[in-house]
Amino acid sequence: MSILFQGRGNANKIRKQSIFQRFRGGITNHVRQIFSSLGELWRTPLASVMTIAVLGLSITLPSALYILVKNSSQVTTNWEQAGEITLYLKEQTTLKQANATVLSVRFMPEVEEVQLITAEQALTNFEAQSGLTNTLSYLDKNPLPHVLVVTPKREHLAPTAAEQLLARLNRLTHVDFGKLDIEWLKRLTAILSIASDIVWVVALLLCISVVLIIGNTIRLNILNQREEIIVMKLVGATDNFIRFPFLYTGIWYGLLGGLMAWFLVVFILWWIQSGIEALAELYQADIVLSGLDGTALSVILGLAVMLGLLGSYISVQKHIKEIEPK
Amino acid sequence: MIKFANVSKTYSGGQVALQRVNFELKAGEMAFLTGHSGAGKSTILKLISLMERPSVGEVFINGHDLNQLRRKDIPYVRRDIGMIFQSHQLLMDRTIFDNVALPLVIEGYTRKQIVRRVSAALELVGLRNKQELSPKTLSGGEQQRVGIARAIVNNPPLLLADEPTGNLDPKLSLEIFHLFEELNNRGMSIFIATHDLGLIARLKHRTLTLDKGRMIEDALQDDLSSITTKLPGNVR
Repeated sequence: MSILFQGRGNANKIRKQSIFQRFRGGITNHVRQIFSSLGELWRTPLASVMTIAVLGLSITLPSALYILVKNSSQVTTNWEQAGEITLYLKEQTTLKQANATVLSVRFMPEVEEVQLITAEQALTNFEAQSGLTNTLSYLDKNPLPHVLVVTPKREHLAPTAAEQLLARLNRLTHVDFGKLDIEWLKRLTAILSIASDIVWVVALLLCISVVLIIGNTIRLNILNQREEIIVMKLVGATDNFIRFPFLYTGIWYGLLGGLMAWFLVVFILWWIQSGIEALAELYQADIVLSGLDGTALSVILGLAVMLGLLGSYISVQKHIKEIEPK
Repeated sequence: MIKFANVSKTYSGGQVALQRVNFELKAGEMAFLTGHSGAGKSTILKLISLMERPSVGEVFINGHDLNQLRRKDIPYVRRDIGMIFQSHQLLMDRTIFDNVALPLVIEGYTRKQIVRRVSAALELVGLRNKQELSPKTLSGGEQQRVGIARAIVNNPPLLLADEPTGNLDPKLSLEIFHLFEELNNRGMSIFIATHDLGLIARLKHRTLTLDKGRMIEDALQDDLSSITTKLPGNVR
């Protein structure tokens, strides 16, 4: 007897398979569908490449902005950490009183280091730097005060903590006034905070657009394969069986779009690195742009895959049930 | 295998397609369903293939009451029904092999089982040597045979055919019907909707005749004249 007529099941029961058979069949079908959905992309190369390019660019923009904000934050952090407080002592303060002030400042728990620049040292330095030696000799007395350069401990380098320390130092007897030049840092921090918020908003909007793009692409795929879906339903395909290839297509779109975004971000960083280095040199800073580390890459790919899955899921849920044999 | 009990079907526009239809097709039986266009043949096939539900009455397919059947169970019931369509319903962008393999892929058969079964089905319909071709390259008769191979490849207990020879010449039509008889001899229940009274008379199987949604005859057919006398007007 032909193999065709072997193994007839009992038609009076819905042919439920054993758990092992279902598991094996399910795995077999999923593996087939994963590769056949990739094959579908391959069969329509132009449309697939265009969709992946749109997704890649959509994901590239927030990723690149995120990297720029991250690098900017690191740069400002470095600048903040180099921050010092300059204390100008009162004009009549003697060297002995200045040394006593140094001692009292050194024992403050927030202070890492304190350096005394005496009025004489300051004048010598000024003469050397300005070249006004002759002019300064006409002065009756040294107009410069003793100065203390205070370096706060690492945990007191943040603008707010440094300001609190400055206020405390200002209360010392011989201190005329102190100076902490952090206003510009505050402004930069605020700008970076706004930029960071903008990155999140842009990222959110672009994520929504990615979901919509993939959803619409999958909708068109479903409509193009309407006849095939009807035939599949007629020969006993479940909604899940029909649904999964489209979900895998969405995942492929997301994954390939994410990879494209990663390549583009790496390329953009490579492209601007030399410009950044030249700029940093002007400020005598050593800036190395940090790119996408393993975690960031995983996040981008994971997010892209999730967006692909979400877009295709929404589309599939809506359209597969609507297509029924009539 | 199939049981209709007082089945009526009215479509949403108010069009009455079936009125109190009763019949039963037993396991291993082969029967024809005939009647004018609009008599209700397609509605009966749609009810059996679970594309429609009855408005009144009960339809049992392979023991399942369609009124009680949940939507998620429909695909599993359809796997026990091989369906053949006048329009073939083939996937033109796939090979003949892929078309015939579709029900097996859906059921999760292994690659080895699929190759063996598809080869056997194509052998039976005489298309084994064309399995890698596209259905587009085949004639209408060959496409219909691909449809038959797909319908029987998972060995369903019931085979439904809707005007399977509608576009074929008489010689090819007879070949197709002989193939159905061969499948029926192997134990498959077969239910065929057709206008082809010549073939019905020639093959001498049970024939159900519909007119305006009513069953007007259910008899073992050995004479064409009894149908034509019962049907008003000419039947194509």
